[in-house]
Amino acid sequence: MTPVIEVTNLRKIYKVGNEKVYALNNVNLEIYPGEVCCIVGQSGSGKSTLLNQLAGLEKPTTGQVKILGKEISAMTENQLAKFRQENLGFIFQSYNLLPSMTAVENVALPLMFKGVSLQKRTQLAKAALAQMGLSRRANHKPTEMSGGQQQRVGIARAFVSHPKVVFADEPTGNLDSYTTKKVLYQMLSMAYQQGITFIMVTHEPELAACADRVITLLDGVVQSNHLLPVQEIEHNRAELFRELEETQE
Amino acid sequence: MKVTDILRLARENLRRRKGRTALTVIGVVVGTCAIVVMISLGLAMSQSIESMLASWGDLTQIQIYNYVYGSTDAPTLDDEMLASIKALEHVTAVTPYYQARNVNATIVAGKNDRYNSYFYETYGLYPDAVEALGIQLISGNYLTETTDVGKGKIPVLVGENFAYSFYDSTKDWNSSKYQVYQGQTDALGNPVDPFVNVEKDKMWIRLQTWDDDGNEKHEDYQMVVVGVMASDYAKGYFTDSGIVMRLADLKRLEQAYEKLAGKRSSGSASYMVGVNGGGMVAQQDNGYENVYVKVDSVDHVEEVEEIIQSYGYQTNSMVQTREAMQAQVAQTQFILGGLAAISLFVAALNIANTMTMAIYERTREIGVMKVLGCELGKIRTLFLVEAGGIGFLGGVIGVILSLIISFIMNNFALIAAVLGFGGAGMGDLSSIFGMYTDGSSAASVIPIWLILFALAFATLVGVLSGIMPAVRATKISALEAIRHE
Ligand SMILES: Nc1ncnc2c1ncn2[C@@H]1O[C@H](COP(=O)(O)OP(=O)(O)OP(=O)(O)O)[C@@H](O)[C@H]1O
Ligand SMILES: [Mg+2]
Repeated sequence: MTPVIEVTNLRKIYKVGNEKVYALNNVNLEIYPGEVCCIVGQSGSGKSTLLNQLAGLEKPTTGQVKILGKEISAMTENQLAKFRQENLGFIFQSYNLLPSMTAVENVALPLMFKGVSLQKRTQLAKAALAQMGLSRRANHKPTEMSGGQQQRVGIARAFVSHPKVVFADEPTGNLDSYTTKKVLYQMLSMAYQQGITFIMVTHEPELAACADRVITLLDGVVQSNHLLPVQEIEHNRAELFRELEETQE
Repeated sequence: MKVTDILRLARENLRRRKGRTALTVIGVVVGTCAIVVMISLGLAMSQSIESMLASWGDLTQIQIYNYVYGSTDAPTLDDEMLASIKALEHVTAVTPYYQARNVNATIVAGKNDRYNSYFYETYGLYPDAVEALGIQLISGNYLTETTDVGKGKIPVLVGENFAYSFYDSTKDWNSSKYQVYQGQTDALGNPVDPFVNVEKDKMWIRLQTWDDDGNEKHEDYQMVVVGVMASDYAKGYFTDSGIVMRLADLKRLEQAYEKLAGKRSSGSASYMVGVNGGGMVAQQDNGYENVYVKVDSVDHVEEVEEIIQSYGYQTNSMVQTREAMQAQVAQTQFILGGLAAISLFVAALNIANTMTMAIYERTREIGVMKVLGCELGKIRTLFLVEAGGIGFLGGVIGVILSLIISFIMNNFALIAAVLGFGGAGMGDLSSIFGMYTDGSSAASVIPIWLILFALAFATLVGVLSGIMPAVRATKISALEAIRHE
């Protein structure tokens, strides 16, 4: 099987004054289609930096990042924009919904950039919101919603255009533990339903325990990168989502 | 991303910050208004100057002044010379305006030669030039070389109101019956006919002279009216109250007069005129003194005039006057336009400032749009459309306001009267607005092209002021922007 994401000899060096910060030092990775992948590590270990490199938000100092066989580290900004429209979705820690737009309009945004007609994209956005259980909030502005609701709008926005890969940097970082589980559950089920590769940075071990692959960083270096056994994942998930499923019934 | 989506987004963004958008738009409104009103004043000025010049005289006509005092290098302005001027390119007609100034004559008509008129408004022209010079007839026909009204009789054109120039020689000059005026009515309000019906009654040109003993000698030539000219002061007073005859006929009369008076004089008499310092200089005979040249269009007048001047003649045409006046108008317009340009420039700075502020406020938003796959070009376009939208909106309101201002200026007297504060003071004001106009024409003219130009220009100013902020928006790093708290 060919990997969705291939990272070779990736280095990211920040210059602060005269000092060099090796945020990433010679990272090599392969992530395969449909995988749920968690990036974990201490604060400052380079998780966000790695995710940004993978998503093409920042250019590497050396090395390359390939997604779906395309070298995104060599693309121009406009090529990247097109590539993102077609293949990538994003979920942010601070939601990053546009404050002037309603939930539907926010969800429809990636479709608008793709050139989908107003009618069509509104319909798709409403369906995505319904899947998130937010039908009744469709016409609310972000300021009229709770953090958890906003993040679910963010998830709907990331999945609405059926991307190949969705990135999320601490998507539950601002949520309480119950909402965290709920949001995680929804992200995972979306990813599984659509066969989307899902890459998430997190600090919480119980979230990482539900991933197919866990990558651990330490000071910009990959300390470990391993697949969890299927049985263990299923056990952990059942454990994590039990109370959730109980309350939903 | 579709164009309609960009437009919708731009509209939403402008609406979101109503207050600031409105302030910026007001700047453009003022600028647009200034430009449109200034241009409209300029247009009205040049329009009224054109009509003023047209009322003064024919714009396609050149007059050759050939009154020579002292010596001259110019060749004699005779029929031969006129023929060669006629042959110049763009020249459609040439004729002397010949006056037999040394002939003493009176026009007589009626029983016992009771009604008399003056001979001195009589001009001899080349018959074929009369129509080409634009002299219109209200009845009858133009003169031709072959017009024949009987042996010894002279065919003539008379001015529209020539009939009213007759006076009754049997009445005292200050009697109310001495003359009939045009438009005169009797006690019942009916118009009074002139003494002579120029198209029916017989009229004679009476050449008069006196011998040394004071005995009058005279000789009569019947004149027959073949056409009546339309009164047009731009062509000359003679079209109203004078006589036009063939040059050859006038010269014949002149010869007859000389024979009668028993002296030989040159074609034009020698006059003594005073010059600087009080000395006397004799006028030289250098052919026709006053010649008119008709040119096919205004654009060629200058060209033809220069050629004629190069022969050594002095000329005069409306083109010179027109150019001088137009230069003055252009200068006024330049100053007014400069003021308007400054106000629009300030508006442009305003737009640039507003858009730059918008960038700072929307940094995060722009970052999110980029991460979600919005191309740089679209972000740039969005900002340009917003800036252009401010310009366009300001342009529309500015044009509407200009139309209102223009209406007020053009109807100032009326509006003042309606509001009831007319009077001398206000009259002065309206004369300021109408300073270059003759009352009948407008003080401010706004043609359709000016409206379209103003809208396009205001929009363009908006777009241009948006370029820098728009480029800056595309340079925002998506990563920095989404981190931005
Ligand atoms: N723009 C930058 N300029 C300079 N140094 C940077 C920059 N971004 C990150 N770094 C440094 O790179 C290292 C990795 O940072 P990164 O944000 O990837 O950490 P992290 O693992 O995401 O931490 P956290 O869990 O706190 O979010 C840190 O030492 C950080 O100081
Ligand atoms: Mg981080």
